[in-house]
Amino acid sequence: MSERRRSLFVLLIVVALIGGSLVAVLTRETKLGLDLQGGVQLVYHAEGTAAQPVVDADAMQRSIDLMQQRVNAFGVNEAELFQSGKDQIEVNLPGVEDAQAAADQVGSTAQLFFYDWEANILNDKCKTDPDLNANQRQPIVGLRNAVLQASKCTNVGVGAGLNPLADNSPGGPSEAAKKPRYYLFSKNTKKPLNDGQSYGSREDALDSIKPADRPNAEVVQVPAGVLVLREQRQTSDSPPPDRWWVIQDRPGLSGTDIKNPEQTADTNLGNEPIVTFNFTKKGRAAFHAITRKVAERGADNAFGGNPIETSQHFAIALDNELVSAPYINWKENPDGIDGATGAQISGSFTIKSAQDLAKILKIGALPLKLTEVSRSQVSATLGKQALDEGLKAGLAGFAIVALFLIMYYRVLGVIATVALCIYALYFYALVKLIPITLTLPGIAGLILTLGVAADANIVIFERVKEEVRAGRSVGTAIVTGYRKGLTAIIDANIVTFLVAFILFIIATAGVQGFAFTLGLGVIVSLFTAVLATQAILYSLRGTRLIRSKAALGAGEQRFKFRIDYMGKAKWFFSFSGVILLVCALAMSVNKINFGIDFDGGTRITAPLEKAVTVEQVRDAVGPLGLGDAKIQTLLNPTVGQHVVQISTKELPKGGSSAVTKVLQDKFGLSDTAGVEEIGPSFGQSVAKSALYAIIASLLVISIYMALRFEWKFAVPVLIAVMHDILIVAGVYALVGREVTTSTVAALLTILGYSLYDTIIVFDRIRENVPRMPSAAFSQIVNRSLSEVIVRSLATSFCTLLPVLALMLFGGETLRDFAFALLIGIASGTYSSIFIGTPVLQHWKEREPGFRARRLRIMDRLGYVPAFATTEQGGPVDVQPKDSSKRRSISAPPGQEVSASEFQEMVRDLGVEESKPTRQPAATGAGRPAGGRRARARAEAASGGGGGGSAAPSDGSASPDDGGDDGKERKPRNRRHGRPR
Amino acid sequence: MALLVWTMVGLAIWHFTVFLPDNFYGGIVGAFCGALLGSIIFGLIVNLGSIPGEHDTDLMTGVEAIPGTLIGLGIVWWLGVRQINAEAQPA
Repeated sequence: MSERRRSLFVLLIVVALIGGSLVAVLTRETKLGLDLQGGVQLVYHAEGTAAQPVVDADAMQRSIDLMQQRVNAFGVNEAELFQSGKDQIEVNLPGVEDAQAAADQVGSTAQLFFYDWEANILNDKCKTDPDLNANQRQPIVGLRNAVLQASKCTNVGVGAGLNPLADNSPGGPSEAAKKPRYYLFSKNTKKPLNDGQSYGSREDALDSIKPADRPNAEVVQVPAGVLVLREQRQTSDSPPPDRWWVIQDRPGLSGTDIKNPEQTADTNLGNEPIVTFNFTKKGRAAFHAITRKVAERGADNAFGGNPIETSQHFAIALDNELVSAPYINWKENPDGIDGATGAQISGSFTIKSAQDLAKILKIGALPLKLTEVSRSQVSATLGKQALDEGLKAGLAGFAIVALFLIMYYRVLGVIATVALCIYALYFYALVKLIPITLTLPGIAGLILTLGVAADANIVIFERVKEEVRAGRSVGTAIVTGYRKGLTAIIDANIVTFLVAFILFIIATAGVQGFAFTLGLGVIVSLFTAVLATQAILYSLRGTRLIRSKAALGAGEQRFKFRIDYMGKAKWFFSFSGVILLVCALAMSVNKINFGIDFDGGTRITAPLEKAVTVEQVRDAVGPLGLGDAKIQTLLNPTVGQHVVQISTKELPKGGSSAVTKVLQDKFGLSDTAGVEEIGPSFGQSVAKSALYAIIASLLVISIYMALRFEWKFAVPVLIAVMHDILIVAGVYALVGREVTTSTVAALLTILGYSLYDTIIVFDRIRENVPRMPSAAFSQIVNRSLSEVIVRSLATSFCTLLPVLALMLFGGETLRDFAFALLIGIASGTYSSIFIGTPVLQHWKEREPGFRARRLRIMDRLGYVPAFATTEQGGPVDVQPKDSSKRRSISAPPGQEVSASEFQEMVRDLGVEESKPTRQPAATGAGRPAGGRRARARAEAASGGGGGGSAAPSDGSASPDDGGDDGKERKPRNRRHGRPR
Repeated sequence: MALLVWTMVGLAIWHFTVFLPDNFYGGIVGAFCGALLGSIIFGLIVNLGSIPGEHDTDLMTGVEAIPGTLIGLGIVWWLGVRQINAEAQPA
């Protein structure tokens, strides 16, 4: 297929895809994340249970499926549940305003068990006394007292092999307490930490609190087989009582033994809401056995007393909380209750709580124990504001990148802008088609990929300009520019894609969204920036539009960056060293200001109806234990006129609701308050996953670099990346900015960007090494840098422009992200040139070959000049060895050497130019340079004998070579040599 | 946190090795390894094998990485000089 046809074909595909994209954009809905539309996000950490000791993929999926059913049952539309990392489940509930209610409904693990109550209550000697009626016993006040008492019961055991149907058995083997549980208390206050939650191991318990709090924490172990149950609530609205039962865990039957739970009303009890259910076959037998034993014991111990007072009980426990302990009237049911007609749970229900319990029972117990590690609530107004700001930043970023490209590259810039528009359209269509949930970090990733997409064009355009300045025709320069620039672009994009892929696999949800957009952006930008712009440019070759050099911005270079980079590198090294030292000391003194994303805590952003001072708010929330909280007033007209933000360490369950209620009562809320509650373990898991992602990325990239370049090129790349990441971390410590999960995403982006930039520089060095066979490595590097510096600066500028747009228009969250990127990109550009490259140069100079070259130059000149001259083997166009069989003696299009290049080579090689018979010859092809007239002149000058040229006389000149005469020659059919 | 500080100090001081003749074992990359390992190992020794957390990190944590880095660089330099001398000796 000819080039023109190929370009036309690609353009047709591009146009067809534009049409398809437009249809997708116009017809499909955009899926917005919670941060852009408002709602509640809950993140759970999964732990194994007795029934499912291992947290595997199957158990996670079953949990997610059950939770999805539960969410659907509660009528939340478009809820999203997905696994995040190895053992976390993220639940997004758009449109939900009550975070507490959502958490109660979604995260409830619903572990339901039925117990023979009197037969299982343990006394203070850790013994059961089935004959003593529960009415004559009192629960223990205070969780710590109950747990301490339970901790002594080491001889209870798990009741392995017990048969719940046996006459003298208190129930079956332990399930809820199959393994020891660990409780956390404060040594100082003796109060439970983390709302009295229990953990599977001592380490898990300690990991759940901040490291600083660990020395003051007391971990108490409750042995396997012993269960601490909270006393039932008086009414469904009443707060959970701080009274506890210590029982041996011998359940008669569990939630899996019941079916068809429903909320109904008991007409005998004045239409009181109750929950009724039936039993499975196994459950029916077990229920009958329990109730019979309870009834018989009641009768034995009644001594003719009132059956209601003397009857014993069976208990229903849901998630370690006593739901109900109904008695079995021994007089009415001396043989227990058959269970054929099912059973009912009554007492302390409202209609809603009875409905909720019925739904929970219907859905069943989750296979895993879930602990809430993060909760955030975004009001719809804040979400809309974030979306507006993100879009504004995106548009501004696009506009300034386009403006820069057009001003700097003229016509090429216009083509690049068209390619960027196509890129944005394709990307948006893919976001809708896949569909990708668009979040704020996702928008940031999209804006950043605009810079990456523009960069691919810049790499090629700079190459084209170089070729034009070297004397090639515009047409040839375009072909050569693409050929030479493509390797670097592909290498750099593969590396960025690998980083995005690894981030997606390893990192947590927030970062995953960003990684996905980045990876997708890289693929789309490769298509638009390489294939689409190439097709457009090839189609325009030979047209007036791109005939003049000025139209390409390739006029005479006003300033040439011929600087002795390697000579000056030590000063740049010192500069970096000083900055790093200052940053290190700042980090030692100031530490890093980790946000609640990492340290855990609660942040409440409340728009108030009236103006208040910080002191007024402090006075209001002080009684809730928030006297020391960080309180600030915010200027955010979109959210409200008087916005107050309260940041504090983690509040107990329901704490944030209490705070918003106080604010509502005292000052009035003009909109829903935004609440973020993050557990310390969540931040740790984010940081850990980010660290793993960085290590994995660096490993994979080192392997790639070693394979594509050579292993010595990989080490400087890693050093440069390390330099950039540490600089950003240091600057954060220096200025005291808060580090959030967005900062982690930005750090990982910097990693990708720094690699991208360094690879582009190293690619040029790799290319120049065979071209300068006698030069010292420092000379090769200096030449490579002088060639690539404009691209490097242009591309950094181009990437910094959208980042600047994020800073200016992106709102608070994106501003954080943009700050890290701003520092990182600046550092990435700097390190590619002044850190990574000098390290490579120092290291390569030690190789015997390069050491010998340096010594030869020293012997000859007494010193090593910054740039290679003829004597030291200056730039010579030596094509890399091609192992494939050469099929044609004609040079492939774009590989010819221009006249000026040839002259330069002659000068550099010290060959006398005055030899009359010598003509500029194309590399490898042996074809005289120039057009027909030039050849005719050359032939005339040499007596028409071809002047020693090895040029074939069949007219197989490349169609790309426009020649110096400015006229387009008709392309000839290669086989027959006739005009087509 | 201390590990991060030690690494930064090691990396910072390594930057100044470009002013020295290239006598390090393994060149500039050898010096890099020496500086980083020196700062981290010395930090660990001073803190009896533990890595101070965020709250236990102070100015001294940063300062104590300096001798470690210099020792690390010194060892790599000594190894390099030994190698150069060995190469210079006639076989």
